[in-house]
Amino acid sequence: MKYIFTIIICFIITNNLIAQDRYITKQGTISFFSHSPVEDIEAINNQILSIVDIETGDIAISVLMKSFMFEKSLMQEHFNENYVESDKFPKAKFTGKIIDIKDSTDKNKVFIEGDLTIHGITNKVKVKADIEVDNNVSLKGVFTVLVADYEINIPSVVKNNIAKTIEITFSLNHKKFK
Amino acid sequence: MSKKEKIIFPALLAITLIIFFGLKEYNKPHVNVVKATPDIITNSEEIINEFQDNEGFANKKYLDQIVQVSGHISKIEASENNDIIITFLNNKTSFGTVICHLSSSENKELINLKEGQNIVVKGICTGYLMDVILVRCNLVKI
Repeated sequence: MKYIFTIIICFIITNNLIAQDRYITKQGTISFFSHSPVEDIEAINNQILSIVDIETGDIAISVLMKSFMFEKSLMQEHFNENYVESDKFPKAKFTGKIIDIKDSTDKNKVFIEGDLTIHGITNKVKVKADIEVDNNVSLKGVFTVLVADYEINIPSVVKNNIAKTIEITFSLNHKKFK
Repeated sequence: MSKKEKIIFPALLAITLIIFFGLKEYNKPHVNVVKATPDIITNSEEIINEFQDNEGFANKKYLDQIVQVSGHISKIEASENNDIIITFLNNKTSFGTVICHLSSSENKELINLKEGQNIVVKGICTGYLMDVILVRCNLVKI
């Protein structure tokens, strides 16, 4: 079984070597911000895995929920244990496409469209991003998600502490896949 | 002491205690990885093999634990926020390795590190993407 897996992986690697359009980062940054009258909550994750193919525009992003670092450890504990249930759903994922990578009117602005999975729930999202393509492929942007869309239950006691809309900021600087 | 005072004093004391412990809990510090004793001691090949064989099982075993990993350095690099990232050398049969994100307080000791060197790192395991990720790491032994 393990050998088959290794062979498949080797196949993927060689495929990647032939197609020279793939860019990867293992250190992308995604942070989120919740503003409420009671408190502001921010968490940052520097371990984002993202792969983008600039020929087709395909993009895949994987996020470890436990990698989100909060200022207060209690917030981190509540986030992982009660809200996103990281033990049950350890990863968030995005798979989609940069839809206008070839024929964007503004060279540095693109739309990314695809499926975002958080807390085991998948929703379609469309996000505007800044793109820079030179030796590296950099994607940056900000978008918002509704907590309710991902069936994340916030207990009524802390309802006023957590915003209903969460602002997500991403910065992914991909390097050529070697 | 009047009857009223008999009620007010214990009530005030109780409220003060609740606020005190509430605030203490709210401001509870993060685990200090430098001082903590590791929950699991392993090496870079073993941990990556366990995650590749059965990710769900390995998640249960390693997530949120303080893991001490020994191995050879493949790459040392700085992130955009100037944090140091050490990538362990992977064994030849598998794809993927162990990536350690070091605490910023560790930077001074890293000047002496070389590729291929055998080191021991302690950090919190947050999971497996293409590689096993350890965060808030510090060097145990160079």
